[in-house]
Amino acid sequence: MRMPKNRGPARPQAEETLDAARLELGDDFQEAECLLISEVRVLLEAQYDAKKEDKNLKEVYTKTLEYVQKFSRYTNRDTIKEVRALLKPTELEAFECAQLGNLCCSEWEEAKSLVPSIGSKISDDDLDSLLKQMDSLKKYQG
Amino acid sequence: MREFVTKRLYQDVEGTCTGRYGYIVAVVAIMDIKMGKIIPGLGSAEFEVQYSAILFKPFRNEVMDAVVNTVNKIGFFASAGPLNIFVSHSLIPADMEFDPHTNPPSFHSEDIKIEKGTLVRVKISGTRIDATEIYAIGTIKEDYLGVIE
Repeated sequence: MRMPKNRGPARPQAEETLDAARLELGDDFQEAECLLISEVRVLLEAQYDAKKEDKNLKEVYTKTLEYVQKFSRYTNRDTIKEVRALLKPTELEAFECAQLGNLCCSEWEEAKSLVPSIGSKISDDDLDSLLKQMDSLKKYQG
Repeated sequence: MREFVTKRLYQDVEGTCTGRYGYIVAVVAIMDIKMGKIIPGLGSAEFEVQYSAILFKPFRNEVMDAVVNTVNKIGFFASAGPLNIFVSHSLIPADMEFDPHTNPPSFHSEDIKIEKGTLVRVKISGTRIDATEIYAIGTIKEDYLGVIE
């Protein structure tokens, strides 16, 4: 039985060890920026015309575009900026911020249940207040 | 030349899927294109390109919204962009039953129905990755999951 040689940079972790609930996303993604669905929508829509003209519309791109258009919560860039401004001063990690922005929970129990890694990084009251502010932004966006 | 390399990058890399990075949805910016090196024996040139891209990789225990595509007696398939998620009937709340007689076939309880087109909130319970594709299984059997109004 041959032992595989360890070559090049760190080997990617076995998939089984990655776990969003414990915020274990692997070396490649642990420090990565996490985009809101609305942000992805802005970026993909900006590329649409160029891609269409080059006849370079891949299935992955079109399926993702359709998805982000369907599930985008925030309709304009200003609202997205304001949501980001609300999330920035918290102690939450990139992935947790993106999840909160995408899932739009109505209260802290729901948020902490769906994104368990949040745990005690933010108090229940502060989280509730944050969620209500995000909800207002969504309700009153242009 | 730079334009050619850029176009090649878009063509070669966008739309691919690997276990390590998930789906490469779109290249966002090219940061650096190093000087080309001729590959001996082949005559072609190799350029090292540094770029940033939007990636989509599902993680175990991640919650995401999805659209139901097909429903049958063993469960339903939903998609979140390019990712297909299978939710087995054993991970659907017990009060929901498969009904082959509705058109289209659906899972339903007294007040909730899951059929093609229904929006659902799913938690990824596992992923399997082969060379070019990711298969995910999910659950809606926990609090705050299931049909989205």
